[in-house]
Amino acid sequence: MNTSSNLHRSGLILDRRRFLGLSALGISAAALSACGGGPSTSGGGGGASAVEQIDFTGVKPAKEITFWTSNPGDSIKVSTEIVNAFNASQPDITVKLVTAGADYEEIAQKFQTAQTGGDLPDIINLSDVWWFRYKMNDQIIPLDSLFEALEFDTDDYVDSLLGDYLYDDAHWAVPWARSTPLFYYNKDHWKKAGLPEQGPESWEEFGEWKTKLAQASGAKFAFQFPALAGYAGWTLQNNLWGWGGGWSKEESFDITCNSAESVEALSFLKDWVYKDKVAGVAGVDQIQDFAAGVASATVGSTGDLITAITSAKFDVGVAPLPAGPVETEKICPTGGSGVGIPKDISPERQLAAGTFIKFLTEPEQAIKFSEATGYVPIRKSADPAAILKKTPQAQVAIDQLPNTRSQDYARVFLPGGDLEMANHMASILTENKDVQTEMDSLKTALEKIYTDQVKPHV
Amino acid sequence: MTAVTTKRPRQALSGRRVREWLIFLAFVLPNVALIAVFIYRPLFQNIYYSTLNWTLGSKFATPVGLGNYRDFFTSGEAGKVLTTTGIFTVATVGLTLALGLGVALALNRRLPGAGFAQATVFAPYILSGYGVGLAWLYIFDPNIGALSAILRDIGLNSPEWINSPPWTLTMVIIVYVWKNLGYAAVVYLAGLQAVPGDLLEAADLDGAGPVRRFFTVTLPLLSPTTFFLMVTTILNSLQAFDLLIAMDKLGRGARTLIFDAYLTGFKEQSQAGYSAMLSTVLFAILVVLTLVQLIVVERRVHYR
Repeated sequence: MNTSSNLHRSGLILDRRRFLGLSALGISAAALSACGGGPSTSGGGGGASAVEQIDFTGVKPAKEITFWTSNPGDSIKVSTEIVNAFNASQPDITVKLVTAGADYEEIAQKFQTAQTGGDLPDIINLSDVWWFRYKMNDQIIPLDSLFEALEFDTDDYVDSLLGDYLYDDAHWAVPWARSTPLFYYNKDHWKKAGLPEQGPESWEEFGEWKTKLAQASGAKFAFQFPALAGYAGWTLQNNLWGWGGGWSKEESFDITCNSAESVEALSFLKDWVYKDKVAGVAGVDQIQDFAAGVASATVGSTGDLITAITSAKFDVGVAPLPAGPVETEKICPTGGSGVGIPKDISPERQLAAGTFIKFLTEPEQAIKFSEATGYVPIRKSADPAAILKKTPQAQVAIDQLPNTRSQDYARVFLPGGDLEMANHMASILTENKDVQTEMDSLKTALEKIYTDQVKPHV
Repeated sequence: MTAVTTKRPRQALSGRRVREWLIFLAFVLPNVALIAVFIYRPLFQNIYYSTLNWTLGSKFATPVGLGNYRDFFTSGEAGKVLTTTGIFTVATVGLTLALGLGVALALNRRLPGAGFAQATVFAPYILSGYGVGLAWLYIFDPNIGALSAILRDIGLNSPEWINSPPWTLTMVIIVYVWKNLGYAAVVYLAGLQAVPGDLLEAADLDGAGPVRRFFTVTLPLLSPTTFFLMVTTILNSLQAFDLLIAMDKLGRGARTLIFDAYLTGFKEQSQAGYSAMLSTVLFAILVVLTLVQLIVVERRVHYR
C-alpha cells in the first residue's frame, strides 16, 4: 500500500507554498482568537435598574478566596504581610494574593477578560477610572448589605474617600490605596534660586518663580508635567478648577473642557513649554526624572512619596497643589484605588471577601499600608504618628485631605475618558497644537462616549 | 473487456480504500478537531463579534451589521492606522532583511568565536517583547536615558522619543529590528551555507570580483530564503504588539492595526465589537498579502 501516493492523488501533498499559506491562515486566525463565551444580543443591557443588595442571611463564608492587586505604590511586600496576618488571625478563611497586572490598566484588562473567560477573583483592586465601568456592566456588587452583615464601621472612613464610590445610593467599593496629587520640589534648587522654603501658594506665583529656577538651578526643566498616560486627566483637574473650569461641570456630565476658563488654564501651562521654554513632559516617570534632578518641580501622587524621598539625593520638598486665580482656595482631586467584589461569584465567596476587606481597611492595617507606600490613611481614627515619624512630609498629604474634591464625571465615569484627555493634552504639550481646537475635539469625543456608553445606563 | 472482469477488482479496491480512509481519518481527525476548535471557531466567532456593538465584559451586545466597518473606513481612522501599519511593516521587514543578510555575511566567515557570535545575535529574538520594550524605553528616555546621555556628550539634544509620535514610531522600529535581526541572520546564514561553492569558483575564474559574485550568484541563489523570510517577517510585523504596548503607552506614534485592535478592545473604551472588526480587517489583509506573495512572487524566486 502506498499511502503517500494516495495522498498525492488526492492533492493532499503539503509543499512549502501550501505550508506557508496554511501557516499564514493559522497565525492570522490565532491572532483573531477571542476568549470563550460571548455576549447575548437579546434583551438586557439597556436602562438603569434598581440596585439589588445581596442578602447574606444564613450564608457561610468560603474557605479560600483570591485577592487581585496591581500592587499600587510598590505595595506587594506590605500587602503580603497584611494577607499573612489575616490568614493567621482566624482559622476559617485563607486569602491568596495575586499580582494581576503591573498597573490599574492591566488589572482592569485582566478583570474584563475574566468576565467572559471565567476564573474571577473574589476581591479586586479597582482604580478611580474603572469602578464605575464595572458597575455599569453589572460586574461588581453593592457593598452596603455586607457592611451591615459584617458590621463595618463606615463612619470611620474618610467621608470624601468612601463617598467617591457612592452611586445610586449604594457603595460599590471601599477606599484602600487612595491618593491625592502633591507638588514635589527640589529644595536645593529652591535655595539656589533664592525662593522661600515652601511650595507656591498659586500657579501664578510659580509662574513667577519658574524663570528664576530655570536660570539658577541648572536643571533641564523648572517644571516637568507628569507622564501623560495616567496623570494628565487626573492632576490637571486642579489647574482647570483653579481657573474656574473643569473637564466637566461639578457632579454633572455637562462637558466643559473647551470653556473659556478651561482653555485659559491650559494655555497658561502650554506657554511654559513653548513660550518660556522652561517646562517639559516626562517620558516614562516624572518621579524618577525629578529624583535624578531633571526638573526642579513636578506633580506626582502621594503614592510616589516614599519612592521620591528614598531615590532622590537631595532634600525633597512636598507641598499641596497650588490654587488658581478664580478658585483661590487650594483644592485638589482625590484619586487612587479601592477594593470591590465581583458579582458573578457565589455569596459564600462574596461574604469571605467582605470579611477580608473589613480587615484590610481597619485602622491598624490602613496605617501600616500608608507607612509603606505613602498613600493617605483612609480611616479617621488611624493614628498617623508612626507615618509622620518616618516621613514628616506625609503631613502635607494628610492636611490636604479636607481640601479634596471628587473628580469630574468626565474623567471617572466616562469609559476611556481619561485616555482621551491624555491624548489631547499630549497634542497640546508635546506637539504645540492649538488649545481651543484640541479641547473642542476632546469635548466631541467625550460627548460621544457619554451618549453611546453611559447615557443608556444612567 | 467484460463487465465481470472490471467489477470484481473494483469491489476489492473499494474495501481497501475504505480501510485506508478510516486510518487516514483516525490520524487526521484529532488534529482537524483541534484546529477547528482553537483556530477556526474563534475566527468565525471574531467575525461575528465584529458585527456587534459590544463593550468587553458586558453580558449584552447590540447587532450593528457592518456599522463598525463603516465607522472605521469613513472616520479617517483607517487612513491613519493603515499608513502607520504600512510604514512599520515596510521599515521593519526591509531593515530586518537587509541587516540580517549583512550580519549573516559577516558570520559566514569561518572565524574563531563564530558560534558564540551567532548565539549573541540570535538571543534578542527569544526574549519577551514586553521586557525588551521596557528595557529600551529606559535607554531612549530623553531625560534620564543612556542614549540621551551619549547624545549630550557629543553635543546633541535627544529627540522626544516618547512624546513625539514620529519619533516614537522610529524608536519602536529600531527596537523591533534589533530584536528580530537574529532570526533573519540565522536563516540567511543557513541559505548562504547552501550556496554551491563551484558556482562561486566558476564566477571567480570568469573574473567576477567579490561584489559582482555576491550580486550575480549569491543573492539570486538566496531568493527562496529571502522569499521565506519576507513572508514570515511580514506576518510577524503585522502582528507585533507586545513591544508596542510597552513603548507607546497612549498609542500615539506606533498605532498599527493590531495595536489599534488591542487599544480599542482592552484599554480606552473596551469596544470589543469594534476591536473584532479591526482584527477581521487585519485577517483580510494577511490573507490577501499571502495570496499575492504565493501567486506572484513565488514564481520568480526559484532557479530550477
